[in-house]
Amino acid sequence: MRLSIAAKTALAALRGNLGRSLLTILGIVIGIVAIVLVVAIGQGAQSLILSQVESIGGNALVIRPGRQPTGAADIANTVYSDSLKDKDIIALSNPNNVPGLASIDPAVIVPGNVSYQNNIFRPLIFGWTADAMAEIFNIYPATGSYFTNDDIKQNAKVAIIGWHVKDQLFGESPAINQLVTVHQQKMRVVAVLPKTGQLSGFNVDDIVILPYTTAQKEILGIDYFQEVIAKAKPGADINQVAADVKATLREMHNITDPAKDDFFVLTQQDIVDRISTVTQVLTIFLVSIAAISLLVGGVGIMNIMLVSVTERIKEIGLRKAVGASQRDIMQQFLLEAVFLTFSGGLIGTIIAISISLLIVVVIRTQYNLDWPLTIPLGAIALGVGMAVSVGLLFGLYPARQAAKKDPIDALRHE
Amino acid sequence: MSSLIDARRLTKIYNVEGVATNALIEANFTIQPGEFVSIMGPSGSGKSTLLNLIGLLDRPTSGQYFFGGEDVADFSDQELTRLRNQKIGFIFQAFHLLPRATVMENVMLPLYYSSVSPREYHHRAQAVLEQIGMSHRLRHLPYQLSGGERQRVAIARALINEPSLVLADEPTGNLDSQNGKMVMDLIDELHEQGHTVIVITHETPTAEYAGRIIKLYDGRIVSDAPAEHTHQHYTK
Repeated sequence: MRLSIAAKTALAALRGNLGRSLLTILGIVIGIVAIVLVVAIGQGAQSLILSQVESIGGNALVIRPGRQPTGAADIANTVYSDSLKDKDIIALSNPNNVPGLASIDPAVIVPGNVSYQNNIFRPLIFGWTADAMAEIFNIYPATGSYFTNDDIKQNAKVAIIGWHVKDQLFGESPAINQLVTVHQQKMRVVAVLPKTGQLSGFNVDDIVILPYTTAQKEILGIDYFQEVIAKAKPGADINQVAADVKATLREMHNITDPAKDDFFVLTQQDIVDRISTVTQVLTIFLVSIAAISLLVGGVGIMNIMLVSVTERIKEIGLRKAVGASQRDIMQQFLLEAVFLTFSGGLIGTIIAISISLLIVVVIRTQYNLDWPLTIPLGAIALGVGMAVSVGLLFGLYPARQAAKKDPIDALRHE
Repeated sequence: MSSLIDARRLTKIYNVEGVATNALIEANFTIQPGEFVSIMGPSGSGKSTLLNLIGLLDRPTSGQYFFGGEDVADFSDQELTRLRNQKIGFIFQAFHLLPRATVMENVMLPLYYSSVSPREYHHRAQAVLEQIGMSHRLRHLPYQLSGGERQRVAIARALINEPSLVLADEPTGNLDSQNGKMVMDLIDELHEQGHTVIVITHETPTAEYAGRIIKLYDGRIVSDAPAEHTHQHYTK
């Protein structure tokens, strides 16, 4: 039998039982929706996170105290959490030690609230430099002006606040030169940031930036940093800069064995690689779970195909009597199964893409995130391919049952 | 060796759960091209078994069966399937039309399994439907037809591959006498046009259309003789 005629025959049989055909493919549709959706959302999340990481810039380095964790039970990074201090920043700033370094901005995280009169807000409070905002993130004040390096030297009690912080504390009234309270200390607002949204893993609108010296000495009473962001000069080899940073810090900390480092240095590429690995493992894990529902759908297909073979036993007998070979009958029923699962795959893909579009719209409008719309061609190919394979796999047994029917018995079947 | 069919000591024994049943015992007969033969007998006489053997739907337990001069024992299942498609046109008691297919599609069915080019399908189906007087019903579905019309469509289907043998199994069994007569007249016409026809039946009026009647009883051929009178006494 020619394939085109076999295909027409199979389609006619499915159309003749349209309601049942649609119910049969429901399981496949759900399985494919699950798979394509998981991959689409995974890719969207990954590119969102990566784009934020990349906003640090390809020539930025992140230096953190502690050891690069080797596992969940590794507590070394908490043990060494106070290893990065002022003298390290001074040593790294020396062009003889790290010739490729353009700037270095240490950061301190201050837990707690900020308040103004009766309004209290819980922002992210950083002790930082204002240069970091300008040079690394390219963000400049909407009103006011950034504190200076002199302010940092003098532990000045000044603050830069994000757009949302200003809105929560001051509403419509001006914030510049007003005093906000952080840990019972009054800080003078010198600048308000423009409405920016998410950037590099935190929401710029929700931050308060103090001079890092103020945060260390006036508020927390510590002499170390939780993170140092360093920027290489344009054209400098980022890996060479990272190596120089490591060598300088080892010398400062009297470390000879790199395995005993009490700090670690991440380049943007390191961070990207780590995040990619995590999201990929998660995606594979979720896709495997979604694949189980596809398998269940396949069993449903097999079940209905077996019913169909029994129902159409006379048709099978007649076809065999007038010249259909076992192969012809097998081909016809296999094609029916594959058409069923293929259309299930197509419908599922369309639904999944519509849902992920909806999710993109919701995330963009509700969370003000730059969530990219990804149409995962790989996932679509995977989904439809899996659907067709499920059809072949679970259609095989019913098709063989049909092909093996004896035409005499089949024709006399009551 | 010009016989279309040559059966030599054709025997079929069914073995159901260790109990052997002799369905057909050493049947010997030949049928020449252009003959019209009825095979008669009460139920259980071996008619259906013989039909299955003649129609290449089953293989004998012993004995030899030559179809068109060739011993079919040498043929594979695939080759028997091809022979059924090319050389035999089946007509069944229950018509066996596909319920969701139109008259046209039902008639074309055997062509799907042949080497005929799809461009010829419509042309050939139209020609046989015209021949049996059903060309006004091409797009109808079987449930829209009377019993007699359904059997005529089934006859058109049997003729579409220009078979050398038309094999009818109780063709009038599901029809009233008027439609039965019409169907048998049509089959008789096919014989007059040169087709070899075998009709299996337990009804004497149907059997008497043939020029020769083979009678079976308990699996044995008990008589094989020219019919005494041909289709003058069709009553039911």
